[in-house]
Amino acid sequence: MQNNPLHITIFPSYDTTTQTYSPVRTPLQFSLLLSGTLDVFEARSRHLANPTAVGGANMLLSGDFGLLHAIDDRLAAYGFETNTGVKFVAVVDMRGRPAKNAAAGSGGGRGSSGGGIGGVGLRDNELKPVFRAVQTAYVRLLQNPFYDPDETTPLAGAKRITSRKFGDEMKRIGETWMPGVTAL
Amino acid sequence: MDGLDHNVPFLVVSGLGASPAKPLPTDPELRERGILVRSELSAVDTREAKTLLRFIQEADTSNLPWQSRDNPKKFKFKVRTIGREFLLPPRRARLPDNLDAPTSAFVLHSPFSPLSPGSTLYPDGLIDTQWLHKHQYLIPSVYLCFYTLTSDPTLATLHDNQLKADINAIKNAISQSGYKTRLAVVILSDQSPSTVSQFQERLENIRRSTGLDPKASLFVLPTRRTEAELETAVDNVLTAIFDQALEYYRDLGRHSRKKKARGVAPQPTIPPTSGTSHTLSLQGWNTRYDFKTAVLAEFRQEFDVALKSYEQAYETLLGEDLLETIPTWNPRFNDARLLADIVAIRALKCLLLSGQSTAAVRRWQIHNDRICDIVDRKGQGTQNYGWKAWQARWCAVMANLIEKVNFPELEASSLLFFRPPEKNLSAERLQPWELLHHSGYWYRAAARHLLDRRTFAQSIPEEDRKPPDESSKAGIARKAYNYDTYMCPEPHEEYPLQAPGVNHAQLIFDYLILARTEFQKRRQKHASVELTLDACRELEILGEWQQILELLAPLWRNIAFRSEGWWDITEAVGWTLRRAAFEAGQKELIIAIDWELMNKAFSRRPDWHYDISKALDGISVEQPPVISLDDEHLTSFIHTDFVFRHEEGKAGQTCSAQLSLVSSAFSNAAPITLKSLNILVEGGLREILIKHEKTPTQDPPSKTLEFAKVVIKEIEVSRGDAATDDSDGASLSQDKLIVLQGTQDLTLFPGQTRVFEFDIPLREPGEAKATSIHISLESEKYSLSYSMRPGRAASSRQWYSSLSPKRQLIRPDPHSIRILPRPPKVEIVARRMLELYYMNECIELGLDIMNEEASDATARMDVTLRGSGAPPYEVRIVGGVAQSSTLGNDDKTLRGIQMNTISMGESAAVVLTLSPINMPTVVDISIKLLYFLVSDPSTPIIQEAFYRLNVVSPFEASYDLLPRIHPEWPSLFNAENIQNLSGSDAVAPRSCGLAQRWALVTRYASFAQEDVLISDLEVKVITTQGNVTCTASKVEAFPVGGRILNPKTIEEAQFDLISQKSSLDDRSPATADLAFTIKWRRADASDTVLNITTLPLPRFFVTVSEPRVLATVSYSSSPSFPASPSRSPSKLLFLDITIENPSSHFLTFGLTMEPSDEFAFSGAKVTTLNVLPVARRSVTYRFLPVVKGTWIRPTLVVRDKYFQKILKIIPTEGMKSDKEGVLLWVPPEDESEDGNEVA
Repeated sequence: MQNNPLHITIFPSYDTTTQTYSPVRTPLQFSLLLSGTLDVFEARSRHLANPTAVGGANMLLSGDFGLLHAIDDRLAAYGFETNTGVKFVAVVDMRGRPAKNAAAGSGGGRGSSGGGIGGVGLRDNELKPVFRAVQTAYVRLLQNPFYDPDETTPLAGAKRITSRKFGDEMKRIGETWMPGVTAL
Repeated sequence: MDGLDHNVPFLVVSGLGASPAKPLPTDPELRERGILVRSELSAVDTREAKTLLRFIQEADTSNLPWQSRDNPKKFKFKVRTIGREFLLPPRRARLPDNLDAPTSAFVLHSPFSPLSPGSTLYPDGLIDTQWLHKHQYLIPSVYLCFYTLTSDPTLATLHDNQLKADINAIKNAISQSGYKTRLAVVILSDQSPSTVSQFQERLENIRRSTGLDPKASLFVLPTRRTEAELETAVDNVLTAIFDQALEYYRDLGRHSRKKKARGVAPQPTIPPTSGTSHTLSLQGWNTRYDFKTAVLAEFRQEFDVALKSYEQAYETLLGEDLLETIPTWNPRFNDARLLADIVAIRALKCLLLSGQSTAAVRRWQIHNDRICDIVDRKGQGTQNYGWKAWQARWCAVMANLIEKVNFPELEASSLLFFRPPEKNLSAERLQPWELLHHSGYWYRAAARHLLDRRTFAQSIPEEDRKPPDESSKAGIARKAYNYDTYMCPEPHEEYPLQAPGVNHAQLIFDYLILARTEFQKRRQKHASVELTLDACRELEILGEWQQILELLAPLWRNIAFRSEGWWDITEAVGWTLRRAAFEAGQKELIIAIDWELMNKAFSRRPDWHYDISKALDGISVEQPPVISLDDEHLTSFIHTDFVFRHEEGKAGQTCSAQLSLVSSAFSNAAPITLKSLNILVEGGLREILIKHEKTPTQDPPSKTLEFAKVVIKEIEVSRGDAATDDSDGASLSQDKLIVLQGTQDLTLFPGQTRVFEFDIPLREPGEAKATSIHISLESEKYSLSYSMRPGRAASSRQWYSSLSPKRQLIRPDPHSIRILPRPPKVEIVARRMLELYYMNECIELGLDIMNEEASDATARMDVTLRGSGAPPYEVRIVGGVAQSSTLGNDDKTLRGIQMNTISMGESAAVVLTLSPINMPTVVDISIKLLYFLVSDPSTPIIQEAFYRLNVVSPFEASYDLLPRIHPEWPSLFNAENIQNLSGSDAVAPRSCGLAQRWALVTRYASFAQEDVLISDLEVKVITTQGNVTCTASKVEAFPVGGRILNPKTIEEAQFDLISQKSSLDDRSPATADLAFTIKWRRADASDTVLNITTLPLPRFFVTVSEPRVLATVSYSSSPSFPASPSRSPSKLLFLDITIENPSSHFLTFGLTMEPSDEFAFSGAKVTTLNVLPVARRSVTYRFLPVVKGTWIRPTLVVRDKYFQKILKIIPTEGMKSDKEGVLLWVPPEDESEDGNEVA
């Protein structure tokens, strides 16, 4: 199982005290946060390997991991894994935004995110459009003959996605999504 | 926080075990005014009593987790054991000392009530922890007394009376105190359960006079039984009194509710006179009653009931009429906040204990939000350290509660990080955080709030940080207005100007470590790295360098982030660890970290030197450390690759190879100068060592790619110099070792690629593979070696060309080369190889071993014969040894035939001699020549040759056996025979039976491909069956010089065969096995060679027992035909019909001769012939043919008269027969003329 970050997009959150938009964490903190979700993927897969797990088969089939975990009372990470093992993570700022919202994603894959309308909570399936859109974008990226998913960097591991189109798409997904949106 | 203890019924156990030294109550109020409950009887201090005490104390659950799943017992107690005395707290408060004479009768209240002037709550407080303390620690729900029942009948009455008096005294004392504490008595008896019934009457007496209920408060415990039984008995007693305790708390709760139901605020004992005359409002009283009701329900373990009351208390407390009306400067405000917190926590606890985890988180969030709202509106706001301190505390409280409640779903083994929501909530839209996460998350949240707290504390202006006596009064007021000091220190203590204040870093660190422990328990590796990193940031502030090293170094060594490409995290860990390593003087770690951080994939520190040689600047180095690193554990900014140009090479030749060094250091980093480069190769190649040699120019290069050819030589070095740690152990025995060494300037500038090309001599055949590349670095302060596997970088597997900048990818696996064996130059040549070899000939194969090497060679030869019927053979080295294969051995291999040294350019001869083969077959001969050159005696070279011999049969033959008339017929009347028949046994038996003569005609063909010379032919009688002697002889002698037989020609040879039975009496048929032998040689072979091919004949009958009719012809003039022509002018033919009767019957034959157009004949036309047993008779006919030169057919019929059977007439020499009968040859006219001429 590869766990290289492929792409991270960070969206600004609305800070109620300063009335400005700024990310709630530094990029390093987001990296740590996203890498922390890998533990959940791993634990969940272990859990699913055990046949008595509730809903295990369902999750295995759809790849939707739903809520991975809440980081605190504000941020929550949702996950999705394609059948090739690319993971998408969306970190949602549950405090919401007036119109726009926050956060980032990645894992063996990556993700993006937006925020909900403050305080109403989220159902797991409300993130589905996000993951579907991200997967579509990723599939398009793979269709590009010049993109080699196995290409490695001079250091180690897989190369990060450098496609601007992909980045823009992530941005669009993150900025457009809000709870209740069914297609992106 | 006080007031958060888990409440369980309080049980006082009296009179068990030796009375402990009675501690004086610390509370003066209790000491002075406490109500003493004491017993006059001494405590029970037997062995059983101690056991009982132990059981009871074990039942104390006050320190266990709240929901212990291990405890199956139905009761829970907080147990206190005392001797015989117990102090109950005063029931009523005192009047203040300075009170004037009472104007009326005061109504006294509990000392902890806001109504009592002495209470801290007077006059308008709500409730405080003293009340909780009183119920949990001072007033027991059940007072359990232990007594003994004497079994001595003489003392019985006295003791029983004492017992009764004592119980009654205690009972009275408790009831006079005003408390409703239940009394329970256990009477211990030293009897067993079955014998204790003898005291039934006494016990009944005690019960009656004390008024105790035998089911609920009076227990008899016979102690003479096993411990297990005793424990069960104690459990039963405790279960019974647990019901009593619950009843007690239920009464108290009912009392509270009754008071609330009155709906009026009680008046204090004395109306308040000082300060505000404000007294507790009705809402305040309701809160107080609800809180009490709830706590008492908790004592009863009725958490849902408790929760309801807590919620009521909470709502009233935070409602408009209570907390909202208290001004914030009033200490009662913080008291109320504290009460709100306590109520909230207790409500949380009830929710958690009833399994409503999501509701609990919601409750937690609601309290957080409401307090936030109140503090924002009424208090000092939420942008200060005090609020953050409270938030941190509020998170930590939740973490503690989760740990206490201990949900099975959140245990480390469950692999769940949060608890699924309750069933009734699962359909709702939930905040993710509302799924109860394990306590690690909560501790982490607490730590984050503490970080904020520190940020706010650090922004306190300086004047507020001065000690209060220095600051003005206005300052104090402002501080009170600006800072929320609820449960946290004043600003001058939080962050004093001079002295150290609150140790934020330590607090944060503690929470982080608590969180990390939880995360680690659940194998959340990545998350715990994050926490460790955060914790180390705090340790950095604390200056705990050693601790950072302990925490971070193992992480840094094997974090998955590195292999997974989380570079920012690796970098953060690296820098933090480097600082700690620097402070702690960990030289190796510093160098390793510096080495890694040189890579430009990391973000750049603007003021950093990026010079690996300066890594240890600022550290005193006494002994330069030797450090070895590798790419398994540490990335590098230098990447190397080593490729062979070709996939294959031959031993003795060279192959070019390239070593490339790529630097991806920061562009402003210092160039690095390596001491040496080592390439370790496994397989048949030497280690390659390139040493640094300084060249005068040190300017930065203009090109990023620099190409250099390096000359490498084989150099013998002693083992130590080779600078290899792990060269293979096989050569350990040698002190010397040969390396390929070259020199080159090994300075590498940032971003530069250096390529070294060299030719490697290939020596031993096999696979060779470059396994690792070591680069070594040496400075005054340290020496470093870094080993890496080739081809891990993106630019790997490329071949650089000095001419074109284009790099080419050469092969999938260019790090290995296949070295083929050195090609042999010694040839094996067969001198004369024939296409076919024949059976029965001796095969000789001459081989020449020609040495075309540039040196003399010593050789050994292995010869193997394969194929069915491979014959024994001999190998002879001309001028040397000869070796034969052993007969009968299946393995037709001769090994290690030592040959003489073959000089350069010379050749040696070998002769293989194969014994004659008796069957057609194919024989494979393989010859393997292993030789060593004198110039290089350690390299074995192998030459091989294969030959195939086809062995076929050279001849085939067919045979005819024709009957002939034997000239003799034995006579029964011969005296010799008679004599012989009756002769003595001593005489050697002579064959005197019937004899028959045959002509054996053989036709043999040559299947050879060349002329063969037949030197002789022979027919041999191998065996005979049926007592017959058989002799074969050539009809005519074979030419002395032999006869050449051309390929594919057929020759005929006749043999005369005479067989004779040994006895006349024996008339059974006999057979003979014959063999036809050809003695031959190849036409070109020497005279001495004689090959003998024997062809076996089918079995022939050589005598018969049936009568036979033989016809013989003779001509009037010449009897011999066709050898000599007929001379007779009359040309008469004589036909003799001979009838042999070998049987013992008398036979009669009729002969009939038909006339013909072709001839005239004389003789009996019809006649009868009688043949006696074992006799022979002949009839002669004379013919005068009218035709010439043709066959004539005499129509003669021989009939057995008796059997009426026509016998076949068998022709002999010069005759033939067909289906119709025999045919006679009439010689032609001209032939006779020719004959005449010849004559």
